[in-house]
Amino acid sequence: MSTETSGRGEASTRERFVGAFNSRASKLGITALPGLTWLFLLLLAPLTFMIAVSFVSVDTLTYQIIWEPTLENYQGLFSGTGPFWETAFFQSLMLSYGIAAVTTVLCLVLAFPLAYLLARRSGRTFKIVIFLVLLPFFTMYLVRAYSWYLMFGPSGVLNRTLLKLGIVDGPIAAFNFGVPAIIVGLTHAYFPYMLLSLYASLDGLDFSLVEAARDLGASRVGALKDVILPLALPGIISGSLFVFVPSLGAFITPRFLGQGKVLMIGQLIEERITSLYAIGFGSAASMFIVLSIVVAFALAFRYVSIEELGGV
Amino acid sequence: MATETDTETGTEVESGSASVFDYERREQLLKYGLYVVAGALLVFLWIPLAVMMFLSFAVNASTIFPFKGFTSAHYAATFADGALLTAVWHSVQIATLAAAVATVLGVLASFALARYDFPLKETYRTFGILPMVIPGVVLGIALLIYFRTLLPQLFGIVIVPGFWTVVLTHSVYGFPFVVLMVTARLYTFDESLEEAARDLGADPLTTFRDVTLPIVAPAIGAGFLFAWIRSFEDFIRVYFVKGTLNVLTTSMFSMIKYGTAPKMNAISSLIVFAIAVVLAVAMNVGNVTGMVAGTEGEGE
Repeated sequence: MSTETSGRGEASTRERFVGAFNSRASKLGITALPGLTWLFLLLLAPLTFMIAVSFVSVDTLTYQIIWEPTLENYQGLFSGTGPFWETAFFQSLMLSYGIAAVTTVLCLVLAFPLAYLLARRSGRTFKIVIFLVLLPFFTMYLVRAYSWYLMFGPSGVLNRTLLKLGIVDGPIAAFNFGVPAIIVGLTHAYFPYMLLSLYASLDGLDFSLVEAARDLGASRVGALKDVILPLALPGIISGSLFVFVPSLGAFITPRFLGQGKVLMIGQLIEERITSLYAIGFGSAASMFIVLSIVVAFALAFRYVSIEELGGV
Repeated sequence: MATETDTETGTEVESGSASVFDYERREQLLKYGLYVVAGALLVFLWIPLAVMMFLSFAVNASTIFPFKGFTSAHYAATFADGALLTAVWHSVQIATLAAAVATVLGVLASFALARYDFPLKETYRTFGILPMVIPGVVLGIALLIYFRTLLPQLFGIVIVPGFWTVVLTHSVYGFPFVVLMVTARLYTFDESLEEAARDLGADPLTTFRDVTLPIVAPAIGAGFLFAWIRSFEDFIRVYFVKGTLNVLTTSMFSMIKYGTAPKMNAISSLIVFAIAVVLAVAMNVGNVTGMVAGTEGEGE
């Protein structure tokens, strides 16, 4: 709409529009309400419904929901031929926690030196390094998982290359599909989240504090422990969350880098849902992911605010 | 304090035995150590992608050895694949629509969050960020059940999973990215600029158009871009709510599943090239690092 041609009609629309912003209620209504409606319809309602479905049973033939509260779905997760820790669900849950935890630690250890270096340097080199880090980050997740899929496996690039170079006689087990491959894939996928979170908190850090600590006689390790780490804590925590949470619910990476040898919880749920439309099982199992996330965030919020979490 | 004694002994050792030369050498070693670690990380980030790009030009598309020479046949085959191109087109349409919806809703919500006080504001903010945090598997399944079971059974609304359900899903998924970017910008915004415009006689709408919008526009653009990319690269949410529709990621998924490496390498490499160009442009135009890292650094 060009204002130069503002005739009588447009001026009045304009006045009405401006007038709409005069009262507090309408200001809020116009700004907050559309988003709220959307979130309510497409986030809150589906999630609430999912919680409800996890407590009711579903007719296996018609997929009609029988609205009677039951714990059947949850019992189903943990009942099998043996004790509960031998059920597929429990094993896959623990395996997922383990993989997500190792991935998080690995990302933290790998990202910290680079984030520190980036925070201390600037200029052309810095720009190139940032570009080289961001490019894989913006590259489709699926493409990155696939690129590791090419590397691993008995006849993957890693094994074939080692064989060709005569370093090994047969395929190395560590380069086969399985848990190590998944951890590498997830680390590659979520490493940038950690790096950027760390960089965000280290970048705002006043490094003269470190110099001051060193002048006052702190050792290098002492300065790292007492000055840098506490100040970088929000970045460490938010970075860890943004690695841990998606790793826990990962689907593509374990699917391709596990090749059926590893069943993470995301895959287990997907399998039951797509092959059986077992929405009761899927909902109940999803609650464990949701609950884990709630706990992780509740712990994190003791140290950081939601704005600080918004890093990535 | 335990740390105090630690540092004291540390200095004693250092000043007692180490000369200036030693100190400098250690500093150098540390510096080079840091560079070596950084270099190794970049190699780690790039090696699988580099191998994939190399293989996209190789006759044998699945592994480097045995190497049988170069070819551009895989690219030709990719461009000749009509179904794949249709899927790409769907992805582009969905990403654009979903990001547009997310941007409109997100910008409005950002103003509410940054400018006004209202009850349950923090709850609103938390809910707004939730779509980004909830794992794709969970959101995908929740929406699948919602579209297929709840809406028809309880409300009699039938939305057949397909194009529009994916757009709806991604519009809610992209929302937090816009909100985070735009609120961050609004918080650092000097509101006295708006007051000055008002004092000089501009009405609220003119103030918004001439003062507020130009300042917030880069953040809106970045938010849109992020929401677009998230939608374009999303697999798991689409996978559940797509019905029979095929988008780029779901096509790629079946390519990997059924082992058609040549086309997969080619299209993946093309995507890396495209993103490299866009990113290089974006980094020279705007403060991408600041946007991504959430530190709205003014120094660029």
